Amino acid sequence: MNAKRTDGRQRQHRRPLAVLLLAPLLLYLALFLAFPAAYAVKLAFTDSLTGAFPSLANFRDVWGDALFWRALINNIFLPLCSVLVELVLGLALALFLAARFRGRRLLRAIVVVPFALPEIVFLTIMRYVFAPRGYANGALAAVGLPPVEWLLPGHALTFATVVLVDAWHVTPVVFLMLLAALTAIPEGTLEAAKLDGAHFWPRLRFIILPLLWPALAAAVLLRGVDALRIFATPLVLTGVEGVPVLSTYAYHQWSDYGNDGAAAAASTLLAVVSVLLTIPLLQRRVAA
Amino acid sequence: MKRRSALLLAIALAVAAIDLLPLGLLLKQAFTPDRESFAWPPTWWPHEPTVQNFTALASTIELGDGLWRSLLVTILTVASSFVLTLPAAWLAARQPRVDRPLDGVLIVARLFPSLALAVPLAALFVYAGLYNHPAGLGLWLAHTLLGIPVAFLILRSGFRAVPLELEEAAWLDGASSFGAFWCISLPLVRPSLAAAAILVFLLSWDEFAYAVLLQVTNRSLPPLLYYLAVFGYPGLASAVAALMLVPALCILLVLEPALRSGGLTGSSR
Repeated sequence: MNAKRTDGRQRQHRRPLAVLLLAPLLLYLALFLAFPAAYAVKLAFTDSLTGAFPSLANFRDVWGDALFWRALINNIFLPLCSVLVELVLGLALALFLAARFRGRRLLRAIVVVPFALPEIVFLTIMRYVFAPRGYANGALAAVGLPPVEWLLPGHALTFATVVLVDAWHVTPVVFLMLLAALTAIPEGTLEAAKLDGAHFWPRLRFIILPLLWPALAAAVLLRGVDALRIFATPLVLTGVEGVPVLSTYAYHQWSDYGNDGAAAAASTLLAVVSVLLTIPLLQRRVAA
Repeated sequence: MKRRSALLLAIALAVAAIDLLPLGLLLKQAFTPDRESFAWPPTWWPHEPTVQNFTALASTIELGDGLWRSLLVTILTVASSFVLTLPAAWLAARQPRVDRPLDGVLIVARLFPSLALAVPLAALFVYAGLYNHPAGLGLWLAHTLLGIPVAFLILRSGFRAVPLELEEAAWLDGASSFGAFWCISLPLVRPSLAAAAILVFLLSWDEFAYAVLLQVTNRSLPPLLYYLAVFGYPGLASAVAALMLVPALCILLVLEPALRSGGLTGSSR
């Protein structure tokens, strides 16, 4: 239908060309994003014993599993806590490193180093740091304090250690986002507030934070959706039963029990929540 | 004023120490014999420095295999991400009508939980013969999904910076659409190509979730490192970890000047 429009000067709205350019990408996304996602839903609603579909057997199974409930609850509180800690630390670092002092550029580079390490490399070291005879307890012993069980399965301190390790690794991202926003605040605004005699806390509360609001919101949304799928940190530090989350639960069901139905049920639940939380991001994009 | 700058210095040193500690301990353990790594109290620098962990690595077959598998998957991922996103990114940069929906789909692709795709992919790959594939072809197909959104974002902003007039001038001189793209636009976005290649390379090289699910015995480096760490080989694990840092370091040293000259600035829109 397009044969007469091969003339070079009418390239703007040639539909077949657009289709041809997009086809490989769309085909890939259909095969490796949409199809497996749909297949996971089918697996989740298929009874693995009888093959009946649709069936709620898998959901009944995980419903009765105490580990699933721990995973679900952790999957709510772990992202909340780690995003909160990362925001506070990232903001503190950004405020500190927005100030002028010698060596600031070097320190800015150093602050990003933990995130520059591959996640699995970082977590491997953290295993050694928080092991019973590891560096953290070594440091405590050096100042005469008794050792601490950082990673005992099911303890509150273990949860806190996982949050701390996640924050140690990811705070640089929040820091970079907030630093960019902070340096974009006109210097005159802050100078004026200083001249008016505003102290640090009022300056932070009434001038800096309101101006940083869009960057803070963006950081919360991005990190929030990202933190929801947390997997490697609890798995590498504590195994599948220490601080279970939905991802490690699905991994456990798949690789230790070969129970693809339960694994699909848990991971589909996670996917639905993630996609729901992505919607605000898409809307911000439309509004922008 | 003096007390304030002393405080500032103390905070700066503490921040630097905390952020350099993981890297420092990793390098220390890589060059320390295992009996010292197991010692109590732990040592903070190697008392008997050694390269025996690295020579031990060189003699294990699994590591060599893992290294080649990781490299192959990573390079294939960069290639497939480019093949799939170059035409789409060029089109999206030229036509907002295409851009909006595509951008939305790719945001979802980027934020979708890996485990929620890794489980069904593993089940499907079992049928297709790609599960635990010796060359990591299944892992490559999964990693491409990580590469696409990043490559698309960077390349699109690269193409946006190329004025349409340049391509139009080439058309007037008789070039075909493809000719204008190949000879004019593509060379102009070289910094974006480099930036995208680096980021996709590192994404695939570092990725753990798909790798641990899809390559259960034919492991790439990240799951191999996980098993070494869990089964108590601090020296070997740290040596593998140090090895995993090498590509990032090479990229930083070789391509840092290119990145600084604007390859990444376009992507931070």
